[in-house]
Amino acid sequence: MHFKIQQWRAWAPSLESSQQWRDWCQAPVRVADEQQQPDVSFLAPMQRRRLSRLARMVFNVAWPLAESHPRLPLIFASRHGETPRTLAILHDLARGEPLSPTQFSLSVHNAIIGQWSILRADTSEMSALAAAGDGLEHAVQEACLLLHEGAPAVLVVIAEEAPPALYTSFIDDVPFAYAVGLLLTPGDDWQLDLQTGSGPRSEWPHPLSLLRALNNDQQDITHYWSRRQWMWSRKQK
Amino acid sequence: MSELQHEIKNLIIDSLGLEDMSAEDIATDQPLFGDGLGLDSVDALELGLAIQKRFGIKIDAEDKDTRQHFANVANLAAFVSARQAV
Repeated sequence: MHFKIQQWRAWAPSLESSQQWRDWCQAPVRVADEQQQPDVSFLAPMQRRRLSRLARMVFNVAWPLAESHPRLPLIFASRHGETPRTLAILHDLARGEPLSPTQFSLSVHNAIIGQWSILRADTSEMSALAAAGDGLEHAVQEACLLLHEGAPAVLVVIAEEAPPALYTSFIDDVPFAYAVGLLLTPGDDWQLDLQTGSGPRSEWPHPLSLLRALNNDQQDITHYWSRRQWMWSRKQK
Repeated sequence: MSELQHEIKNLIIDSLGLEDMSAEDIATDQPLFGDGLGLDSVDALELGLAIQKRFGIKIDAEDKDTRQHFANVANLAAFVSARQAV
């Protein structure tokens, strides 16, 4: 699989500008989460009112990447999805209270890309994946298939919300809330290969590890998850 | 504007997440759905639930008058006070 990473954007609490991200990539730390909200002021208040923070993170990174692409296929991947919404619904159920129709309808995994499709009036092919810790690679694989079919560009967004306190002992791969958006186009700047193999988990979630490689001019990265060995390599210049 | 009307406006704002709006921005006779405030069918369900929870009244979604009761804040306030008086 080969492709070009035309552009990237990312959001995490207190990390918004590309300079802040370049600094983070040099000296990565676990950032504190004070429930900052990503800016989505490009949407009218009536349009953004139902967007959760996870959805706002996705829109914040993806909207500028989609700017000159009225039709743009999208692959969204999140391992854990809307955990705060789901937990709120479960709380209501446990107390025997009626469920909020809004919370319920937006708790499904493809709700964010559904809202994206409506608000951008874009009916291109869009998929929502819930993969394991290597959702990034699965999403890029999907994107490569679309590029191979002739799509001029594909948007890939990986996002994870900070898990609610009740879930923190079960979720060990989200050091802080983050979203990473990649605009992929046909090309051979990067190659991604999959084979069977085991190795240590990467220190940071795969999308953040990829950002570090992009910003630090690293030539290759190897990510392991389960029995899958993903090898990223840059074309030698 | 009656106290009940004011309360209903705030309930609409809070339950539907209408950021940047205050009770003064919603006219008592402004249509809530479609071209008025711009609410949609999911809002109708959410608002129905909020009214039931706040005022402890049952709303029959099949009742042909329900659409009329939810047309604007004035109608909703009249509906709530009539039901509470029962």
